Amino acid sequence: MSRITDIEQGIDQLFSESPYDMDSERRQARLLSLLKNEIGYACEKSASYAKYIEHWPIHFQCAETIADLPYLPVGVFKANPPLSLIRSDEVKRTLTSSATTGQVPSRIVLDSATSRRMAKGALTIFRNFIGSERRPYLVIDTSENLASQGQIGARGAAIQALRSFATEIVCSMQLTSDGESRLDLDRVLACAAQWKNSEILVYGFTYVIWTQFVQRLKQAGIKLDLPNARVLHSGGWKRLQEEAVTHDAFNSDVAEVFGCPVSNIIDYYGMVENVGVIYPDCEYGNKHVPAFAEVIVRDPLTLAPVAAGDKGLIQVCSVLPTSFPGFLLLTEDMAEVIGYDGCSCGRKGPSFRFAGRVPKAEVRGCGNLESKRRRQPEMAGVA
Amino acid sequence: MIASELVQVVDSTREITAAATRLRDLVRDEEIAPQTVLEIFENWSAELGACELQEIPGVAFLRLWLRRGTLEPILLRELGPNTPNGGWWEDGRARLRAFPLGLIGHWPAANIDIQPALSLTCALLAGNCCLVRVPTGLIDVNRLLMEKLHAVDRSGILTRRFFAASFDYSRMDLQQAMAQSVDGAMIWGGAEAVSQVRALSFPHWSRLLVFGPRVSAAAMDARTWGNLEERTTWCRRIARDVWQFDQQACSSPQTLFLERSHACDPEAFVEDLRKAFEEENRAHPRQQIDPSLTSAISLVRASWLLAGDGRSAVFPQSPDWTILLGAGATMPNPTQGRTLTVLVIDDLLEAISKFDGTLQTLGLGISDPEREEILTRAAGRNGVDRIVKLGRMHVFSSPWDGTELIRPLVRLVRHVQSQD
Repeated sequence: MSRITDIEQGIDQLFSESPYDMDSERRQARLLSLLKNEIGYACEKSASYAKYIEHWPIHFQCAETIADLPYLPVGVFKANPPLSLIRSDEVKRTLTSSATTGQVPSRIVLDSATSRRMAKGALTIFRNFIGSERRPYLVIDTSENLASQGQIGARGAAIQALRSFATEIVCSMQLTSDGESRLDLDRVLACAAQWKNSEILVYGFTYVIWTQFVQRLKQAGIKLDLPNARVLHSGGWKRLQEEAVTHDAFNSDVAEVFGCPVSNIIDYYGMVENVGVIYPDCEYGNKHVPAFAEVIVRDPLTLAPVAAGDKGLIQVCSVLPTSFPGFLLLTEDMAEVIGYDGCSCGRKGPSFRFAGRVPKAEVRGCGNLESKRRRQPEMAGVA
Repeated sequence: MIASELVQVVDSTREITAAATRLRDLVRDEEIAPQTVLEIFENWSAELGACELQEIPGVAFLRLWLRRGTLEPILLRELGPNTPNGGWWEDGRARLRAFPLGLIGHWPAANIDIQPALSLTCALLAGNCCLVRVPTGLIDVNRLLMEKLHAVDRSGILTRRFFAASFDYSRMDLQQAMAQSVDGAMIWGGAEAVSQVRALSFPHWSRLLVFGPRVSAAAMDARTWGNLEERTTWCRRIARDVWQFDQQACSSPQTLFLERSHACDPEAFVEDLRKAFEEENRAHPRQQIDPSLTSAISLVRASWLLAGDGRSAVFPQSPDWTILLGAGATMPNPTQGRTLTVLVIDDLLEAISKFDGTLQTLGLGISDPEREEILTRAAGRNGVDRIVKLGRMHVFSSPWDGTELIRPLVRLVRHVQSQD
C-alpha cells in the first residue's frame, strides 16, 4: 500500500469516530502514528522540508509524544512561492490569511483531497455544536467574499465552511462603487420578517458583526426578533480589544439585536494554516480539539507543553492537509490550558481558552535596527 | 533614603521640572572634584559585589567599569592631566579646565539592566547633575543598584546630584518636560526609541550624544578557527559574547564570518561551538523570555533551513540558543535571543566591504597581525567603531560608538591670564 493511501485510510478512520468522544490515550497513539507517516510523506515531496526535519533535535520517528514531533512556525507560510507538497497543476485553490494592513498574508495551497478533508473537518465540528439540519444562512459580509474558486481569503473560507448547513444564503452587506461595504438594511429586515420563527444560521467576522452590523442596528434602534438565530463568529478580538469591547458586552449586544439567547452566540478560533479545524467555545467557554487534531500549549521559555492552568504559545496539529506541510504548526497566538480532559460539557481531550496574539515587544534594545544606513537591507534568505 | 525615592515613579511634569530646577542650582553652586566621584565609585563597585545582585545581567561588568583603574585613565585621556584633581592644565600661553555642561538627561535602552547606571556615571564624572529616565521594566533592578550607591554615599554627595524618574515611554508630556530641562543628553537604544527621543524639543544649546542603534559581528581567519588546539577557547569566547545581555546589546555579535579553509570543515567548528553554547547555557540559563522572541527564534530556524541548499543549523528543542550555518558576505537581519549566524566566506575583506555604518563592534580572531591591520583599516573605513578580540566585545570603554563618553559632557574653559 502506498504511503498516501495509508494516510488517507488513517484520516478516514479518525473521521469515523465521534469528534470529541475518543479516549485520550487511543487518540494520541493514532495521531502520533499518522502524523509520523505524514511527516515522512512530506519529506518525500519537499527537499527543503526534509532538510528542516533532518535538523530537528529529535528524529521524528523516535518521537514518543506528539509534542516531540518537529513543528513549523506559522510564519513560514508567508513565503513566496507558498510552501507546497504538490505540483502547481494540482493546486485547486489558494487560501490567504486575513493579514492586517502592511503585513504579508499567509498562503496555503490546497489540492482536491485536502480541500475535501478541510470541508469534512469543519462540517464534523460544526455539526457537534449546532446540529446537522439545514436552515437559512445570513452572512454578515458581502457576496464578493463568497467566491469559491482560485484564491480565497480567510473570510471567504469561513463563510463557505457553513454552506452545507444552508437552505438559502443571504448576504447582509453590499459593496459600494467606491469599494466600501455597506449594510443592506432593507434586505436584513425582509429576511428577519420572513425567518421570524425559523432556526437560522448567522456568520460573520467578529469585528464586522460588531462595527458594521450590531452597532448600526443599535444606533437605529432596530431589534430583529430572531429568537432561534445561531450566531457564529471568528477572526479575533484585537480590534475590539482596542475599542475596549469585552466578550460579555459583545455577546450581550449581539443577543439583544438578534433577540436570541446569549448561549446562541458562538465564538470560534481558527486559522487558514490549520485548515479544516476550528475551535468553537463550548457552553463553559472552553475550546476543544477534535479527534483528527491536537493542540499543544508551549511555555515560551522552554517550548515544553505547559500544565493545566498555565498559558503559552499555541501549537496546532492536524492530520488533514497533505498538499502543504501544515500538520504541526506553532502559531503566534497564546492560550491558557483549562484541562487535559474532563470539561463539564462532556467533550473529551484538552480544553483551552484563547489568550490573544503574542504581544509585540516594546523595544528590542540598541541592537534593534529599523533600516540600514547607507544601503538597503540585503536579506540572506531570512524571514 | 528608601528604595522608592532612589528611582521615583513620576506622573506629572511638575515633578520633573521641580527636580530639574533643584539640580540646575546644585550644579552651579557646588562643584565636585573628579577624585571624589572616583572614590565613591570605587566603594560602590565593592558594594555591588553583594551576592543578591549577581544574577543581574551586567553587574560584574558595572563593577569593573566603576573601578578607579578603569575610569581614571579615561578621564586623563579625555579631559587632560590635572582633571582628576579638578585643576587647570597648560595649553601654550593659556590654560584649560573642564567645567560641567550642566544638567544632563539620560534615556537608556530598555533592554540593558545596568545602562541607566552606566550612562549616569559618565555625566557624574564630568561634574554634572542628571535626570535619568529609568525604563519601567528596569525599576526594581535600578533601585537595587542605587541602594548600593546610597550605602556608600550616606551624605548624598552623589545621590543628590541626580533624579531617577520612571514613566511609560508613551508619556510624551513627561519626555518633553525632561528634554526641555537639560543642557545635554545621552540617548541609547533601538531605532524607534532613539528617533522618538531625538524628535523631542531640546533647548537649542543642548548637546545630544546618541548611542545606537547598532549591531555587531565577528570574524575569524582560517588559521584561527582551524587551529584545533585553541578552537575550544575561541568558541567559549564567542559564546560569552553572545550570551551577555541576551544578545540584545549593540555590541552583541549577530553574525560570525569564517574565512574558508580547505583543511577544516565549518560543520566541525559549529559542533565545537554547539558544545560551548551548551556549556554557557548551563552556566547562565535564561530566566524569562518575551513570547515574541520565542516566535522569532522558531521562525528564523525554519526559514533558514527552508531557504535553500548549503545551509544547516544546530539548536535544541527549547529557544535557548541557535547556530545557523551558511555562506555569504551579507549579514542577515539580526534575530537576537542567542541566535548566531555563521557565514563561510572566501575573503573576510569582502564581508567588511559590505558593512554600511550600522556595524558598531567587530570581534576578531586573526592569527596574523599584518592581516589584522588590513582588516582593521577596512573596517574603520566602512563605519566600524570598535575592533576588539573575540570575548571582549562588551567591554564598555571610551570611545563608544566612535564618541568619547565624558568630554562631550563638559565645557573646556580657556583662560589666558590678563597679567600677561
